[in-house]
Amino acid sequence: MDIPLFSYDSILTMLHGLGAGGGGLLTLFAALFALITMRTDGHLDAVVEKRSRNLRWLIVLAAVLVWGAVIGGTYIVFPPYRATPPEGLTDLTAYPRSLLTSNPETDWLHSFAMETKEHVPWIAAMLATAAAFIAVRYRSRILSDRAINRMTTAVLATCFALAAYAALLGTFVNKVAPLE
Amino acid sequence: MTMAGREPEGAVTNGAALAASLSAGIGALGLGLVVFLNELGVFEVPALYGPAGGVTGRTAAGVVIWLAAWAVLHSRWKDRSKSSGVFGLSLLLVALGVVLTFPPVWHLF
Repeated sequence: MDIPLFSYDSILTMLHGLGAGGGGLLTLFAALFALITMRTDGHLDAVVEKRSRNLRWLIVLAAVLVWGAVIGGTYIVFPPYRATPPEGLTDLTAYPRSLLTSNPETDWLHSFAMETKEHVPWIAAMLATAAAFIAVRYRSRILSDRAINRMTTAVLATCFALAAYAALLGTFVNKVAPLE
Repeated sequence: MTMAGREPEGAVTNGAALAASLSAGIGALGLGLVVFLNELGVFEVPALYGPAGGVTGRTAAGVVIWLAAWAVLHSRWKDRSKSSGVFGLSLLLVALGVVLTFPPVWHLF
């Protein structure tokens, strides 16, 4: 019997959660680390210019990945999650939302976790875009100008916190009711 | 020192950065309010994509609010310097927007 290792929906979920979401978190963390450890407080030379150019692209990549996770999650992964099962079906494994809400112990994973996850990542995407815009517009000043550096760091840190929170909730949901 | 916040040509201004961060705050609060009022039944935002449901309409509304705010703020502030207090306001709006998307908050009303 031919049993596929991963179903089509589970591959889409992995691309959303591990690829775009996980990649977004990694790049956000790397950008935050660079913003904090590479800031020069006024000093500007060719090395700072080169570092800021690399950092700029890292922040842009983070924004692209966060948007990928958000749009993919909403428009590709969410529809099969919320699909309505046929009347009278007892095995709800293929219908994650119905599976979660059918049990009082897991209902919170939909009524709190998924309901929150539907919206909070969009705010993270707005913040990631703001940080990418600042990085592109202010170029090396994201490292050499203390005020711009702090602002970009705070925006990215807030974005990271929101994205990590959504990712954690997504992990819980996928653990109990994965798309298969 | 500048007149009405406008900087001389070539100077570094923080207006564009603050416009980007404040508009993200306005977008977050806008999205939060749309979600909150939708949940209270004040109005219902139609879905943009049926299979994904109402979340597509609510988030699209939030994105429109964010981009509109950004366009206006950027055109007004891009060559100016603004108080760093604007950034604090941005973070406050983001926090309010996030709180309004929490289901326990909906159930308080």
